[in-house]
Amino acid sequence: MPRHVDSGIVGYGCYIPRYRIKASEIARVWGRDKAELPIKEKAVAAMDEDTITMSAEAARYAIWRAGIEPRQIGAIHIGTESKPYAVKPSGTIVAEILGIPPTTTSADLEFACKAGTEALHIVSSLVGSGRIKYGLAIGADTAQGRPNDALEFTAASGAAALLVGPPSSNNVANIEHSFSFVTDTPDFWRRSYERYPVHTGRFTGEPAYFYHTLSSARNILMENGYSVSDIDYFVFHQPNVKFPLTAAKVLGIPMSKVEPAIVAGEIGNTYAACSLIGLSKVLDIASPGQRILLTSYGSGAGSDSFILSVADGIVERRDKAPRYEQLLRRRVEIDYAIYLKNRDKVRV
Amino acid sequence: MSFRIRIPSIWRAKRFLYRLEGYRCSRCGEFHTHSRYVCRRCRSRELTLERLPTRVRLVDYTVVHQATRNNEDNLPFIVGLVETPDGVKILGQITDCEPEDLAPGMELETTFRRIGVDGDANIIVYGYKFRPEIH
Repeated sequence: MPRHVDSGIVGYGCYIPRYRIKASEIARVWGRDKAELPIKEKAVAAMDEDTITMSAEAARYAIWRAGIEPRQIGAIHIGTESKPYAVKPSGTIVAEILGIPPTTTSADLEFACKAGTEALHIVSSLVGSGRIKYGLAIGADTAQGRPNDALEFTAASGAAALLVGPPSSNNVANIEHSFSFVTDTPDFWRRSYERYPVHTGRFTGEPAYFYHTLSSARNILMENGYSVSDIDYFVFHQPNVKFPLTAAKVLGIPMSKVEPAIVAGEIGNTYAACSLIGLSKVLDIASPGQRILLTSYGSGAGSDSFILSVADGIVERRDKAPRYEQLLRRRVEIDYAIYLKNRDKVRV
Repeated sequence: MSFRIRIPSIWRAKRFLYRLEGYRCSRCGEFHTHSRYVCRRCRSRELTLERLPTRVRLVDYTVVHQATRNNEDNLPFIVGLVETPDGVKILGQITDCEPEDLAPGMELETTFRRIGVDGDANIIVYGYKFRPEIH
């Protein structure tokens, strides 16, 4: 795919709800072995939160960091697989909450956990083509796992937003390259009217996550003449902590370049928000001139990759909104019963 | 299909519910949360659209234990009276904290949350709430 010279990240924001449930608490309820848990704990949305409210929070932080007026925004695309409405767009509600004018293009996007970076593809293209000056790409989910399913240990809630605009040294980062890699892979799905997704255990790793993640990351590096040593931070999608670290090992990436982006151990797999929250965490510490490779993964299946060059504006902008660590500190631990209530799993 | 929430009135109120935008009287300073042609205090027609600040001061609060419509599953919840720096007082729910975390005079910030869900039609009402600032 051709080099981008026409768009950058003007502002970024992530949002993590304050409730946490430990994986060991879920294991206690279902009699699972506590020695082999995929994460430590996960973030759980409150009863008054959903994909729309969390998207609005993350987007508000992105706007604060960008320092622009919401009326300048011409696109808002939300990637999610947990829309509050099956039929009624989430983006229009978030746009009105933020004060974005009606002269805006908006759609909710679906591609499992990579729907957020799909929004980034679309919005950066709209900016790059000159159709709009600024646009919001959001990934948000209140992910659901069937009680006593392996996914229940990791399926979490969170959101992240990137405000995309023209390239500038005053940006948070500029987009240098993008890449996308998709195939028909039946690793995870949910049919209409079903409450919980289904996954094919043996497809989850090699033919799904690793094939697409590694292909996308390898291709974007190779196509553009980069090697691992040219990249300072690698941000991967994180269905658990083990998968992104294994992908890094296969690609020969030092752990010091991938661990700063790991969020799954503390907040779980926030699906469409996951890799973008990892990116937010890295942007909280990155320095101008450093390069970041972002690779998402979505079941079904596919990966998007972006190479970002951190710009001078990061220094001034990052403290204009709460950082990842500040949001993480608002931690309130809940037990399994409150978790069931919060996530609307009690049906009578 | 029945609606317990009045959709037209909620839709008309969204400017205030979503963004705390209302109409300020240029003559006497009265703030109106809904669209008006005439100031309810001085009868002036000089009303301008204004957005209230996102940071407010808590005047006082109470904890609601008796379910109100559309909040049956979210008990107890906190309702507070807050004041903007220029003296506009508004009521709203306070979220992301326990009652013991609150004290009159403390700073709060606005957030956006579900206000309620209609029982039959399942339409969701979104709007402002207040919460302690994130540090």
